[in-house]
Amino acid sequence: MTVPTAALTAVPPYLVVAVASLLVLALPRAVGHGLAALATAFVFAQAVLLGDGGTGAHLATRFLGFDVVFFNVDPFSLLMGVVVGFLATAAVLYAYGSDAPKWVTSLALIYVATTVGTIYAGDWLTLIFFWELMAVTSTLLVWQYGGAAVRAGYRYALFHGTGGTILLAAVVVHFANAGSFLFSATTGIHPAATVLAAIGIGINCGFVFLHSWLPDTYPRPHVAASVFLSVFTTKTAVYVMYRAFPEGGMWLAYLGGFMAVYGAFFALLQYDPRRLLSYHIQAQVGYMLAGLGLATAVGEFAVVGGFAHLFNNVLYKSLLFMAVGVVIYRTGLEDIREMGGLWRVMPVTFLVYVVGAASITAVPGFNGFISKGMVLDSAHEIHEYVLLLDSGLLWWLLVLGGVGTFMSFIKLGYYVFFHGSASISPDDATPFQTAGMALAAGACVFLGVFYGQLIELMPFTEVIRGEEVYFHPYSTSHLTESAALLVAGFVGFFALKRPLGWLAHHMRDVDAVLFPAAFYAGRWSVWGVTESWAAVDRATMRVVGGAKWVAMNPRQLLANAGVDAEIRAGIGRSVLFLTLTAAVALFALLLG
Amino acid sequence: MTDVLLPLSIAVPIVAATLPLALGLRYEDVGWPVAAVTTLGLVGSAAAVALEVYTAGPFDHELGGYAPPIGIELVADELSAAVFLLVTLVSAATLVLSRAIGPRGNAFHSAYLLLTGGLVGVSLTGDLFNLFVFLEIVGLTTYALIAADRSGASAYASLKYLVVGTVGASLYLVGVGYVFLATGTLNMADVSVQIVEQAGYTDPLIRAGYAFIVVGFALKIALFPVHSWQPDAYQRAPDSVTTLVAALVSTASAYALIRVTYSVFTVDFLAANDAITTGVLLVAGVSILAGSGLAVMQSDLKRMFAYSSVAQFGMVAAAVGIADETALLGGVVHLVGHGLMKFGLFCGLALLAAGYGARRVEDLASLARDAPFASGALAVLGLSLVGIPPSVGFLGKWYVSLGAVRSAGATGGVVGIALAAVILASTLFTLAYVARVIEQLYFAGVDRGDAERGVADHGDAGGHADGPARDAGDAVADGGSGDATAPGTVPTAPLVVLVAAALVVVGLGFAGAGFESLLDPYLSEVFA
Repeated sequence: MTVPTAALTAVPPYLVVAVASLLVLALPRAVGHGLAALATAFVFAQAVLLGDGGTGAHLATRFLGFDVVFFNVDPFSLLMGVVVGFLATAAVLYAYGSDAPKWVTSLALIYVATTVGTIYAGDWLTLIFFWELMAVTSTLLVWQYGGAAVRAGYRYALFHGTGGTILLAAVVVHFANAGSFLFSATTGIHPAATVLAAIGIGINCGFVFLHSWLPDTYPRPHVAASVFLSVFTTKTAVYVMYRAFPEGGMWLAYLGGFMAVYGAFFALLQYDPRRLLSYHIQAQVGYMLAGLGLATAVGEFAVVGGFAHLFNNVLYKSLLFMAVGVVIYRTGLEDIREMGGLWRVMPVTFLVYVVGAASITAVPGFNGFISKGMVLDSAHEIHEYVLLLDSGLLWWLLVLGGVGTFMSFIKLGYYVFFHGSASISPDDATPFQTAGMALAAGACVFLGVFYGQLIELMPFTEVIRGEEVYFHPYSTSHLTESAALLVAGFVGFFALKRPLGWLAHHMRDVDAVLFPAAFYAGRWSVWGVTESWAAVDRATMRVVGGAKWVAMNPRQLLANAGVDAEIRAGIGRSVLFLTLTAAVALFALLLG
Repeated sequence: MTDVLLPLSIAVPIVAATLPLALGLRYEDVGWPVAAVTTLGLVGSAAAVALEVYTAGPFDHELGGYAPPIGIELVADELSAAVFLLVTLVSAATLVLSRAIGPRGNAFHSAYLLLTGGLVGVSLTGDLFNLFVFLEIVGLTTYALIAADRSGASAYASLKYLVVGTVGASLYLVGVGYVFLATGTLNMADVSVQIVEQAGYTDPLIRAGYAFIVVGFALKIALFPVHSWQPDAYQRAPDSVTTLVAALVSTASAYALIRVTYSVFTVDFLAANDAITTGVLLVAGVSILAGSGLAVMQSDLKRMFAYSSVAQFGMVAAAVGIADETALLGGVVHLVGHGLMKFGLFCGLALLAAGYGARRVEDLASLARDAPFASGALAVLGLSLVGIPPSVGFLGKWYVSLGAVRSAGATGGVVGIALAAVILASTLFTLAYVARVIEQLYFAGVDRGDAERGVADHGDAGGHADGPARDAGDAVADGGSGDATAPGTVPTAPLVVLVAAALVVVGLGFAGAGFESLLDPYLSEVFA
């Protein structure tokens, strides 16, 4: 280990962020936010400086008798550190520009700190520790806003408490079978814990039918809080999914494909802009999981595709939340049908939105184009359930999701920025909002054009650059594919605008059934538990009362029973006990 | 050079024990200064020895230049240095307490110095017979100290301990005699070699010897069912004496049990005799449950925590019986941690008894308002005894339970799991009686202004009815002056020691890795 690496890894980055989170509360707003931005920038800079030379298990120690690693640096955790640090810095600037209260920024930072802790964990024990903390801190961040966010926060906490417990069970099963918590001891999670781990992590990933917390929670809190929330929990979950299943699996790939379609379809039906974006989180996570799932079937290329998409998604998804957040911040409206014509009065926000939308829909020249192309190319090599064009089901699912993405972002942009004339004329983004958005937008464009840099940040760089792998994002076929998706998206949206509007009123997501069901089940179980507990309680109190009386009045009890004896051992009886004990010990030993 | 410290640390307090009596013929109140100076020297010596052991490794000293196995050897290794340090620190801290609340006579200080010398001897000796001598010095001075306040009850408690303790010590001596017959040596290191060479682990003499020794120790440690001397002794002794005895005397015997079991008979002996480990684990398990259960039933505070010691030492004995590296580490941590916790608890109780006449659980009602620091420290120490992290109490229980589960995993036996379950159950019991204390201290809702005057029937009412600053504030005036404590106050100097003890107990909760690395040489040697 070289000296700079030793110095860089002496302090775990999450401690720095956690301290900054406290300072934000204590210091004046501007100074506190400045320090917060510095702390998150430190996470970014540390990850960049460590680079490939700094890999290794740092801060490895024993905790409660188990081997743990508090600061595990490898290509995967580094790329997460780079993007989380970068985006968190942009988000802190944005929060400062959005009049976020100190508490929002402070809670957001502690949430970032736990995220960074999860990322740099080198063993399942440390990971589950930070994982549970993430659930707590993000819930607090939602609750801070009050109002409707409180109920949604409860549901969020229930989902993540359940998920965390299932993952904890998975970790326990893993340890019982593998005998070590360390990542380095096994390849992924032990087979015995597969299902538990998949469900536990899957709740955070937003698996289909386990996703309803996503669109439920993220539209509710402060707009700045949404920016933080939108990128860390789900993306960290994808990263942890890779830690658990480094060899992927077709089940994961197909699940990802269905998530892409499901998320994009429901996004199309939404009129709350942040709710729409939340469904796209599910869709985008689907692409990432599809890439990770093909790890064995296709190889490193698919894994890099998944992680590149994760990396890019953090940037453009938060960018979109920022842009939409500016609109909500300035207008106070949360229904896109009430907006319209804003591109004249909010040109900066509009421009930023276009960059974000172009990135997420994979328009050439933006970063989403690069990574989504890699995932689609990987899926193209799978020839199971072949449908049209000699392509398998997985590819078609992902393409369908892509068309849906186009349609919904055309819809979002159309309603917010065009759609009739402006009836309101709000101001554009504040300087610091602009600064935060410029950082993220700049990164989206930069990585789209200089895609070599993106590959440089990824693991398996030399494999991608190698001879065997065909990696040319701007080939004719890719451009044609993209153009076809774009056309399909435009045609689809304007052709289906009215049917979709009708569907939006009649098509409910699973939460329409899930939430009432959970509510009534909860009420009945609370009643049942309370009543049976009361019965148990009465019985217990009677027994305890009796036992206590006996314990307090042992002599009285003996007297009542007609026994006249002293129960406290005197000298004689003590010696007798001693002699008997010695005799028993001798007999047991010599004859036993 | 450091090795000279070993005999000096034993001889100096024993010789100094004559000074309070001798000088007392001419000067009054000379006992405390003599004891204080001697004990401070011991603390320094222990620190130097510990530093040497933990940096450079174990070392020994041959008494009088006679080489072992004929001569007597004093040994400082990772285990004995820890106990040595504990003994000297707690002794010094107790002296602060006894100056404030008594007893203060020259005779007390002579006995105190003898006891300290004996305890240091127990922790440092490397000779089986020499160990008996020091155990007897400890025992005899303890008998005397328990009776120091000259009441009838304490005289009876002392007599009971005297009779039972003497029989117990004799059993130990019989055991040592058997071992000597089988091996022809008394030096611990040599015995462990000679057992293999001359007798073998299943030799009846060796087995019988170990059985006698273990029963003798079990009595000295006060394990169920031969604990019956201990609650009386703790309850009836003067408060300062209880503090010292509860923290150190049984601890020294438990240390001796670990030492004799692992350094003399070795882990191979345990492996060769299943009946022994089963028996030890059985006694330990019963001790844990019975001690905790009996503690819950008590209303007298000192008696309650006396029974608690029965349970806690059951855990240490369990760690010995499990014969697992992690469990033994837990046993040692719990041994040291329990010493500190019981010192703190009895010190806190002594202060509350001195200031407010609190002797029973109900006397504690709402004392937290009048004595916030003492009550807070008691609460912290109590929770640590329960095993709530971060605290040294948690650490000890954790390692013992972990070792128990691991050994169950290794052998597929249910014993380890059952033991872990017993420890968990006793944690609940512990919570039950500690919660009673804390509930009384903080939530009894009694107006102390009246209650206190009712309990402590001194005439000094009214002047102290104004809130929480009292136990520190007023005590500055007379804390450490050597006079009797004014009712309704807590003397400052011992209060500072008490709070420090509580902080150390919590602080050591973070030192798990430290304990592991410091004790690792010893553990890997005995489990080699």
